[in-house]
Formats: sequence, structure tokens, C-alpha cells
Amino acid sequence: MTETKPIQAPVEHKGRRGFLPIETNTFDRVFISVVIWIGASLLWMRFIEPLGLSVWICTILCIILGVWIVKKG
Amino acid sequence: MRSNRLGWLLLSPSLIVLFIVGFLPFLYVIWVGFHDWNIFAATRGMTWAGANNYRRLVFDQDFLAALWRTLVFTFTVVTSELVLGFVLAQTLTRQFPGRAFFRTIYVLPLVVAPIAVGATWRLMVIPGFGPIPYFLERWFGIQYRIGTYAEHAWATAVLMDIWHWTPFVTLTLLAGLSAIPREPLEQAMVDGANRWQVFRYITIPMMMPVILTVVFIRIMDALRVVDEVYMLTNGGPGTATTLIGLHIFRVVFPKTDYGYGSAMSLLVLYVTIVMCWLLFVALANVGKQKA
Repeated sequence: MTETKPIQAPVEHKGRRGFLPIETNTFDRVFISVVIWIGASLLWMRFIEPLGLSVWICTILCIILGVWIVKKG
Repeated sequence: MRSNRLGWLLLSPSLIVLFIVGFLPFLYVIWVGFHDWNIFAATRGMTWAGANNYRRLVFDQDFLAALWRTLVFTFTVVTSELVLGFVLAQTLTRQFPGRAFFRTIYVLPLVVAPIAVGATWRLMVIPGFGPIPYFLERWFGIQYRIGTYAEHAWATAVLMDIWHWTPFVTLTLLAGLSAIPREPLEQAMVDGANRWQVFRYITIPMMMPVILTVVFIRIMDALRVVDEVYMLTNGGPGTATTLIGLHIFRVVFPKTDYGYGSAMSLLVLYVTIVMCWLLFVALANVGKQKA
């Protein structure tokens, strides 16, 4: 008799709880960072960039925020 | 380990096809979104524009108005279809004379192509030709003119979408309702729960995955409606029914502004993803708190 194992999904989702109000895995946190980055860039271009501050400042801030979310979120 | 390798092996044909027909065009749209590309422009081919298309987008009043209009349209039709679909699905779980016949004719709108739906509704609401303006005027004295009054055109577009897609919502919810085990419902009745309590605390939570799926599908569909509305009102009168899909179509095809059109499409995709994700997180959290 050969032992049969139940087939598992090829990707394992390990969720964890950080400062974000929901349980997230790494993909979720990267996704949240990208979503925030895109939204913040669009808002920056609409409201802040006309005042003379480049959108690159927003990009740098979002990268820092993204790293923080991925590590601690 | 063996099962993982086998899993990837079995998935690989689908993944390769999805990569070619789904992911590569998506990457191409992102690439085009960062370029100026108009085939009738003085400079042929694509020229790098950086984030200029997106910069133009956030100040484009026509685009933002169309986006807002589409969000209102989506909220209206999805909510109406969900409520109507649930009521009809509950009705169809009971036995009544002519149930099979009603089920059959009820799903007929689903098999009609959207462009034909738009054409049919247009024929029904053209003043001087269609029966709807004729009877509304004769019976109620209402001058129904979709080419003149923005609210009439809007209401017709909403009704048309609800007529077209409620059967889909009903069928999906009906499948979900049929799959619910009877035991928890009967136990609740035995424990003295009334019909409303059974519906609110047992049926709805058990139906939540199906409801979520239906809402996601309908949100995604409603956000990119083009053909029905194009055929019915062509976005008019004025821009009263110019939904975002129609606005993008006009920029991409008649104006051949591919770069800007791609940027607009990507922003709509972004809005769709964010809306669906927020809805999923909110509903999943509500489910967890209740459990």
C-alpha cells in the first residue's frame, strides 16, 4: 500500500500580525506598499507638485514607508 | 515535495497561457502608459514621457468627472442587483407553479450580447418610436426623453444594466443558497429563532463567500461598461452617461492617444483593485469578528 498525501497548494501562505490591523503575509504587505505608493504619487502630483516639491520626494518617502510596512506591518 | 513539483507541473500550461495572454499585455500597457504615442502625431512611434500622462490625468476634469460618474453608477447598479438578486434567489428556492419556466425566461438577458441589449433598449426608449415614452406620456403625462434630459438617460442606463445582470446575480446566489446545509437552519428554528434571525445570523454569514464573489465580479464589470451605454445614449446628453470606459474608448480610438489611454486604463484598474481589496478586507474582518 502506498501512502497518499493530500495535495497542497504550491505556495504556502504564512500570515502574521504586525502594526497593520489585519493579518498579512509578505505579498500582502508588498501589495499594500505599492497601492499606497501609487495613490500617494497621484495625490502628490495633483496637490503638492504644483507648489514646487518634486514627486521624487514622495517616491523616497513611499519607499521608506514600504520597507517599514514589509518589515513591521 | 513531490506533490509540490507535480502541482507546478500541472499548473504550468495554464500559467504559460495566462502569462502570454494576460500578464505580457498588462506589462505592455504599463510601458505604453509612460510614453506619448499618437499615430497621427508629427513624431511617429513612442516617445518617453515619464509620469507626464499621469500628471495630465490628475488635472483632467473630464476624466475625473467620468470616473466619479462611473463610481456612482457602479454603486447604484451593484447594490440594486444584489438586493434584487437575493430576493429573487430566495423566491426561486421555493416551489410555485411555473417555476422552471420562469427560471428559463429569467436568464435570457444573460445570453444577449451587451451591444444588442443597448440597441434593444434604445429602440424601446426612442421618443416617437419606442413603447416606453409612448405609454409613460399617455398614462402618466411624463415626457420621457433620453436625448434631452440627463436624468432620464441616466435612469435608463442604470435600469438597463440591472435588467441585464440581475439574472447572473440571482443564479449565483441561488447556487449558493442551494449548497447551504439545512441542519444549522433547522437547529436555529428549533431553538426559537424567527425567519429574520435565521436569515441575518445564519444565511447571510454562510453566503458571504458567494456574495463577495458576485460583488467582485459585478464591480469589475460595472466599472468597465462601454458597449451598452455607447449603443443606448453614446454618453449623452452632454456627458451625462459618459462612463469611464466610454471616455477611454474615445481617447484611445477616435483620438488615437494610446499613451494617455493606457494611463487612464491603469488608473481604472488601480481603483478597481483597491475597491475590491478594501471590500474584501472589510467583509473578511466582519466575518472574523462574528466567528
